[in-house]
Amino acid sequence: MLRFIFKRLLLGIPTLFAVLTIIFLLMRVAPGDPAYAVLGDYATDDAVAALRTQMGLDKPVWQQYLDYLGGILQGDLGDSLVTRQPAWIQIRTVLPYTLELTAAAIVIALAIGIPAGMLSAVRRNTFVDYFVRVISLAGLSAPAFYIGLLLMYFLSAKAGWFPAISTAGFDDPLENLHALVLPAITLGLVETAYVTRMTRSVMLNVLSDDYVRTARAKGLPSRMVMVRHALRPGLVPIVALTGVFVIGLIGGSVLTEEVFARPGLGKLMVGATTRRDYTLLQAIMVVYALIIVLVNILVDIIYTLVDPRMRKR
Amino acid sequence: MTHRRTRTISFLSVILLALTAIGPLFGSVSAQDDRPVLVHATNSGDKATFDPHLASGTQDRTVVDMVFNGLLRFKPGDASVIEADLATEVPEPVAEADGTQSWTFALRTDATCHASSATEAYPLTADDVVFSLQKSANSDTSGVAGDYAGFEFVKVDDATVKVVVPTPLGPAVFLPKFANYGGGYIICQQAYEALGADGFANEPIGTGPFKFSSYTPQTSTTLVANDDYFRGAPKLGGVEVRYIADNTARDLGLESGELDVINGLPEAQYVERINQAGNQIADVFGVGEAVWLNLDITNEYLQDPLVREAIILAVSRENHLALAGEPVAQGIFSIVPTGIVPGALTQEEAQAAEVDFSQDIERANELMAEAGYADGFSLTLVTSEQAAYQTQYTVLQEELAQIGIDVELEVVQHAVMHEQIRAGSNAITIYIAYRPSADTYLTQFFTSTGGSTNFSQFQLDDQVAAARAETDAEAQIEAWQQLNIEILQNFAGFGLLYTNQVYVRQPNVDYGHELISVPQLYPGYNETTTITE
Amino acid sequence: MTATPSVTMAPTAPIAVISERRRAWRAFARNRSAVVGLMLVILIILVAVFAPVLAPHNPLTQSVPNRLEGPSRDYLLGRDAYGRDVLSRIIYGTRIALQVGIFSVLLGGFAGTAIGVVAGYFGGKTEAVLMRLVDVLLAFPDLIMGLLVMAVLGPGLGKLILAIAFTMIPRFARIAYGQTLVLKEREFVEASHALGQRTGVILYRHIAPNIAGELVVLASLWTASAIRLEASLSFIGLGVPPPTPTWGQMIREGTVYLSSLPLLSLAPGVALLLTVFAFNLVGDGLRDVLDPRSGK
Repeated sequence: MLRFIFKRLLLGIPTLFAVLTIIFLLMRVAPGDPAYAVLGDYATDDAVAALRTQMGLDKPVWQQYLDYLGGILQGDLGDSLVTRQPAWIQIRTVLPYTLELTAAAIVIALAIGIPAGMLSAVRRNTFVDYFVRVISLAGLSAPAFYIGLLLMYFLSAKAGWFPAISTAGFDDPLENLHALVLPAITLGLVETAYVTRMTRSVMLNVLSDDYVRTARAKGLPSRMVMVRHALRPGLVPIVALTGVFVIGLIGGSVLTEEVFARPGLGKLMVGATTRRDYTLLQAIMVVYALIIVLVNILVDIIYTLVDPRMRKR
Repeated sequence: MTHRRTRTISFLSVILLALTAIGPLFGSVSAQDDRPVLVHATNSGDKATFDPHLASGTQDRTVVDMVFNGLLRFKPGDASVIEADLATEVPEPVAEADGTQSWTFALRTDATCHASSATEAYPLTADDVVFSLQKSANSDTSGVAGDYAGFEFVKVDDATVKVVVPTPLGPAVFLPKFANYGGGYIICQQAYEALGADGFANEPIGTGPFKFSSYTPQTSTTLVANDDYFRGAPKLGGVEVRYIADNTARDLGLESGELDVINGLPEAQYVERINQAGNQIADVFGVGEAVWLNLDITNEYLQDPLVREAIILAVSRENHLALAGEPVAQGIFSIVPTGIVPGALTQEEAQAAEVDFSQDIERANELMAEAGYADGFSLTLVTSEQAAYQTQYTVLQEELAQIGIDVELEVVQHAVMHEQIRAGSNAITIYIAYRPSADTYLTQFFTSTGGSTNFSQFQLDDQVAAARAETDAEAQIEAWQQLNIEILQNFAGFGLLYTNQVYVRQPNVDYGHELISVPQLYPGYNETTTITE
Repeated sequence: MTATPSVTMAPTAPIAVISERRRAWRAFARNRSAVVGLMLVILIILVAVFAPVLAPHNPLTQSVPNRLEGPSRDYLLGRDAYGRDVLSRIIYGTRIALQVGIFSVLLGGFAGTAIGVVAGYFGGKTEAVLMRLVDVLLAFPDLIMGLLVMAVLGPGLGKLILAIAFTMIPRFARIAYGQTLVLKEREFVEASHALGQRTGVILYRHIAPNIAGELVVLASLWTASAIRLEASLSFIGLGVPPPTPTWGQMIREGTVYLSSLPLLSLAPGVALLLTVFAFNLVGDGLRDVLDPRSGK
C-alpha cells in the first residue's frame, strides 16, 4: 500500500508542475498589476515604479519563474504581493473554513442523497420516484449563489434562525457549527442531487443483477437485500463520486463563501486573482493541486477497501 | 461482511472528522476587555496594507486612522477645521531670507508609541517625526511622495521639528499635508526599523487611541484600546473591522445585531428606507468624493473642441445625480468639488462665467455634424467593476448613444482600470476621488507633474503653480476658480457630483462627535466613541 | 457510460437506422418529463428569437430618475437601478443565455472530442501527452478556470464563450477518449483498418458517429451547466459587459436591493432556473432513451 501511495504521489508531480507553470504564465499575460491593486487611486508613476521594484516585478519574467520554483523546492511559498504576509499563513488561516465547509457539504450530500436515491430506486416509477427525480434535477439546476441568498434572506434575516455572516472562529465550536449550517446546505445542494441520482441508477443496475434476485428468491427480507447485497457493490461509484466532489466542492465553495462572507480558499483565490496577487495565487494553486492529488489517492485507497477486486490492479 | 462494512463506514467518518478537526488548531484569539467592542463592517473583502503612507483603500484607512496620529488633525467629524494633534498648536509660516518658507511644529511630549512584536512602547520624539515625514516624501516607501517634493524636515530638538518649503505655500495647501491623512500620519521609527517594511504593512505601530492586535485574512482586523493614549483611555475596549464585500450580507449582519456599524449603500432611497424603519440609523456625511469627467484633448476624435462640447452637452448631471439621489449625492459645478474644498465654483458662479452646461441633445447633435461626425463614431472605455464607477459609465454610455457615439464598455477589475486609464486607454475618463485641497485636485489631474493621472492631457502647469504660491487666501481661491473656468471653457473636464458617505449604525453607537465630514471616509472612531447600554 | 449507443450501431444499414431512430423517438416521447423539458426548451428558443416582439420596452432605455420603481401595469416586473424595464431585460437575457450555453458547448465539444478521439485512437505518445493535458485542465474547477481565462482574455461575450468552452474541453475529451478505446477494438473498425481505409476516414466515418449518441446526451446536460456557469461568472462580476442584459448580472445587481425590491433578483433567478432545468430534463430524457437501464 505504501508503495502504491508513493507511486501515486510521484505521478502527481508533473501535473503539479504543469499547473504551476500555467498559473505563472497566465497571471503574467493577464493585464493588471498588483502595484495598482495596492496603490489604487494613489497610483502615481513614481509610486508604482517603486512598489514594483519592491515586489520584484521589475526582474525579467524567467528570473521570477526560477526564483519561484526555487522557493517552492525549499518549501517556501513566498509572500503575498499585496498584504506582504507569508502566503502560507494566509492559506493556513482560511483553509480550515473551506475544509469544514466541504466536509459538511459531503456529509449532507451522502446523508440525504443515498437514502433518497435508494428510495427512488425501490419505488421505481411511483410518485415517490418522480418526486425525487424532479427535485434532484431541480437541485442540479439551481445556481448555488442564488439559493444561498434566498436561504440567508429568509432563514437568517427574516426568521433569525442562523447568523447572517458566518465568520465564527473555531474557538467556539457550537457557534461555528451554527454558522456552518446555511453555507453547507447551499454548497451541498448540487452534490446531494448528484448523489441521489447516482445512487438511484446504481441501485437500479444492482437490483436487476442476478444475485440480488437470487437473494430475494431465497426469501431474504427486502431491506436486508438492499443493504447487504445492493448497497455494497453500489458503494464503489458513489465513493469515487465523493472524491470528485471534494475537488468540485473546493472550487464551488467560491460562490458560497462570497455570498455568506465566509473566509476560505476559494474566496482567497478570487481575491488573489482580482488583485493580481501572483505569489498568493500561485501558492494557493500549489496547496490546491496537492489536495487534489491527495484526494485522488484517498479515493483509490477507499476503492480497494470497499472492493477487494480492485486491489489486484 | 458486516465487519468490513463497519470498517468502511468508520474509515469514511474518520476522514470527515479529521477534516473538521484540523480546524481548532488554527483558531483565532479575540481581545478580552470589559468595555464594549465596536464591530465595524467595511465594504472591501480584505485589507491591502496598513502602511499609512501607502494605504489608499477605505478599509485600510479606517484601521490606519485609529492607530496613527498626525502632527495636526482634521477636527473629529468636521474636516473643515484643522487643529493640533501631535503638535501643540497649528504653526504659522515664516518667510526665510533665501526665499524659502519654514513652519515649526512644537511636539507634545506625552505621546507614546505602541509596543510591537519587536519593540517596547516608548515616547514619540522629533526623531520619529522626521523619520516618518522623510518616509512620506520618499517615493520608494510612500504613495504620496509627490505632495512633499522639495520639502526638508529638520529636527530642532527632541520636541521641535521644522519643515522647510522651497516655495512659499498658503496654509490651505500646507496644513492638510501634515494632518491625519495619507503622508501626514506619523509612524514610529523604532518599530518600522525593527519590523521592516513588510512587517509594518501587517503590524502598524503608531500613537493613536487604538493599538493593532490581530489580522485574519478576509475576515477581520482587531484593534484594542490604547490606555496610555495622550487624550485619555478610550471608552471602547476595541474595534473589530470586518471585511464583508457583499452589501446584502452587511445589511443582514446589522439587522441581526452581529454588527454595530456598516458601510451602507450610497443611495438616498436606501438611507430613507433604513431611517423610516427606525431600527437603525443611517448617517450621510462628507467628505464627498468628487465624480467628474476628463476628456482627453489629444484623442483622435476629442481633439476637436466641437466634439468635446457635444459630449458635455449630451451629459445630464441630473441623470448621474439620480443614481445616488440627494442628499447622498450633490451636484458640483467645477472639477474642484463645490462645497467641499475652497476654490470651487458654485452654480451661480459657473452660470456667470457661462460654463454651467446642461443637457441639450439637439445642440450636441448639431455640433457633432459640424465637426463632421454626423454619423457618430465609436469609443471603447474601460471601467472598474466597482458599482460606483460602473453605474456612472453605464449612464454615460446611454447618454452618448443619443448623439451617435457608440460606447463599448470594458468592465475590468478595479486595479486593472487604474492601470489602464493611467496608460491612456480612455478618451473619456470618469474619476472618483477626494483630495484635501483644490491644489491637489488641479496638480494631480491638470498639470504635467500629475503624470499619468493627467487624464485629459490638458495642462495648466504655470497657472497651478502660481495659484499654489499665492499666500493671500482670497486671491488664491479666486485663482483656483479661474482655473476651473478655464478647464470648463476648454471642455477638458466636467464636474458631475460628489457622493457622500453612508454609514448605518445601531442606535446605541455614539461616535462621540458630530458627523459633518471625515476625510478618511468612515465615521471616525477615537477615545470618545462608545456604545451605550 | 459503457452502454452501447444502439442508435448508431449500424452505420452501413440506413433502414435499420431509421427504425432505430423511430424507436428512440418513441421512447423519448413516452418519457413525459423529457417531453415537458423539450417543450420548455423550444419555448425558450422562441422567446429568444422573438424577443423584440415580446419585450414591452427597449431593454436598454434608461430613465434614471424613475429607478427602482416597483411593478406597475406598464412595467410588470418593475424597473432596475437605471430605470430600465426588468421584464424586457429578462426576455432579452434569454438570447445571451442560449448563445453562451450552446456555442460554448459546441466549441468545447468539438475541441474536446477531437482530443479524446485522437488520443484514444492513436495511443502511445499522442495519448500520453494529450490526456496529461486533459488531466491538468481537469485540475481546475470550472469557476476557477473561467475566472483565470477571463482574467487573461478580458471581458466580452465571445471571450466568455471561449472561457466556458475551455471548461468543457476536458469533460468531452475524457468521454470521447473512453468510448474510442472501446470502439477501436470492435470488429467493424478493425475491418475498415484492414481494408486500408485512411485514418481520417475511419475516425470521421466510424468512430465519430458511434460516440455521437453519448456525447449528444452529455452536451444537453452540459449546456445546462454552461448556462449556470455563465450566471455564476456574471455574479462574481466577470461576464458580458453592460448594457447587454444577462441573468447573472441582473441577479448580481438585484441582490443589492434584496430586502426592498426582491423581484429584481428573484425574477431573473427564476428564468435562469427554468432554462437550466429544461435542458437538464431533455438531457435526462435522452440518456434514458440511449441507456434504458439508467432510466426505467
